Amino acid sequence: MSELPLREPTFLILTALAAGPQHGYGIMTDVAQISGGRVRLRAGTLYAALNRLATDGLVEFDREEIVDARLRRYYRLTSEGARCLQQEVDRMRSTTTVAARRLRLLGGTP
Amino acid sequence: MTGAGEQEKAGRTVDDRFRTSDADRDRAATLLREHFAAGRLDAVELGERLAAALNAQTFGDLRRVLADLPEPGPALQQPCRLQPDRGGLERWYRRLLACYPAAYRRVHEEEMLAVLMTAAPSWKPRPGIAEAADLIWGALRVRCQPSRNGAEPGWRDALAVVSVLLPLIVFVTTVAQTAWFLTVVHAEPDAFSGRFPPWLLNALAGSLAMLALALLRLQRTATRGAVALLIGLAYLAVSSYQVGAPDPGQLSTIAGPYLLLALGLQMVAATASRGPRRGLQLLTWKHAALTVIAAVTVAITSYPWTLIVIPVICAAMVLTSSLGRWLLVLLAVPLGPYVATPNLYASPWGPHMGLYLAPLMGPGSPGPAGQAYVLAALFLGVFVIAACRDSLRSRRLARPSQ
Repeated sequence: MSELPLREPTFLILTALAAGPQHGYGIMTDVAQISGGRVRLRAGTLYAALNRLATDGLVEFDREEIVDARLRRYYRLTSEGARCLQQEVDRMRSTTTVAARRLRLLGGTP
Repeated sequence: MTGAGEQEKAGRTVDDRFRTSDADRDRAATLLREHFAAGRLDAVELGERLAAALNAQTFGDLRRVLADLPEPGPALQQPCRLQPDRGGLERWYRRLLACYPAAYRRVHEEEMLAVLMTAAPSWKPRPGIAEAADLIWGALRVRCQPSRNGAEPGWRDALAVVSVLLPLIVFVTTVAQTAWFLTVVHAEPDAFSGRFPPWLLNALAGSLAMLALALLRLQRTATRGAVALLIGLAYLAVSSYQVGAPDPGQLSTIAGPYLLLALGLQMVAATASRGPRRGLQLLTWKHAALTVIAAVTVAITSYPWTLIVIPVICAAMVLTSSLGRWLLVLLAVPLGPYVATPNLYASPWGPHMGLYLAPLMGPGSPGPAGQAYVLAALFLGVFVIAACRDSLRSRRLARPSQ
């Protein structure tokens, strides 16, 4: 299911986890920050995506902590997940490079 | 009045039969979380006990939840760390989380609740519509995703069981119909003028094909799909012989549409689930016996008796397990209309039960007969989509890295 191009929430979740293991709420705030506040994941969306990513082996359970008598479960990126994110980054880079070059051409030839 | 003495020791008399308030339940939930934080409970136990505590009706219920945990220490006798009005919000969230599959909830409920409660502003009395919709949608998505550790969603398991049961049903009904046919022939030797009735060929081909599909130990979805498709096409080719020559007064339409639906469902079941082997692991004698009794009832009884026995079996099926509920829904696809449509051809409520698609497939009218094949094509379409999605996905995951 994690075929390229990745859907934006998936991409942002993988990006958030690329910085290191995070728990659910941490991912939510990180995704909001990465996207400049544009994407605000809700818990249902986040956990459905995490479930699918875990099934596909892109993300795995890291550890549990208890903070304020509440359970926090941390997730981390697997090597497979890092590879998937890298492929997506390469794909995006190649298209944005072409787009930027053509915009430059457009600017150069009025 | 068990435990009333302890209560008196604690300075107040509370009868176990007294009803609990929201505040009592919230206090118990806080105690449980403190015990969890202290390591006395693991996440699964915490989830089970919290559910019990938040649904407690009486003090007796609450006491049972806390029975094997030590007396609260000084730290626990402080006022609730949760603000009292957050308990309501938490109950709302728990109700929404109940939409998730039980196996998923056991692992993730506390974690998700923590995220939800942390993200909710403190003034929030209950989840908003968008949030509730998001949780329900998330639950649906989780239910539709195959799981990696053997805990499959209910419908997928039910499909696996169906892929075992359905050939059995079709075989039983075919045999019953054949037996009945032979008695008819015996009574009226010239009814079929000595030729082998095409519908019998049809029924035998269909049920044998389904048995073959169930028994072949095909591991890969794509292979299973290809074999199912071949069997389906071969079956359609065989049945097309009889469409042109219906035999309205008698039995010509007995097997066709019923088997088409059953075969379609069998193909979907064999490809979208983990297959008959998984089904055999899951199948309990209860389910198998109920299903076979239902099939035999449909096959051998006359109409009013069927109407009495089938609901009883349905009720038993629903009550045995959640798997039974799914099975019932799935088996209703071929069996339901079979029971529901009265016989339009023979004398009132006769045992000519194969004619349930009579409104679609009137005698001697090849036009409506085509509609039965539209249904079959629909099933085929669903199955092809399911097979393609699965095989694409496994190929993508198996793809070597660059």
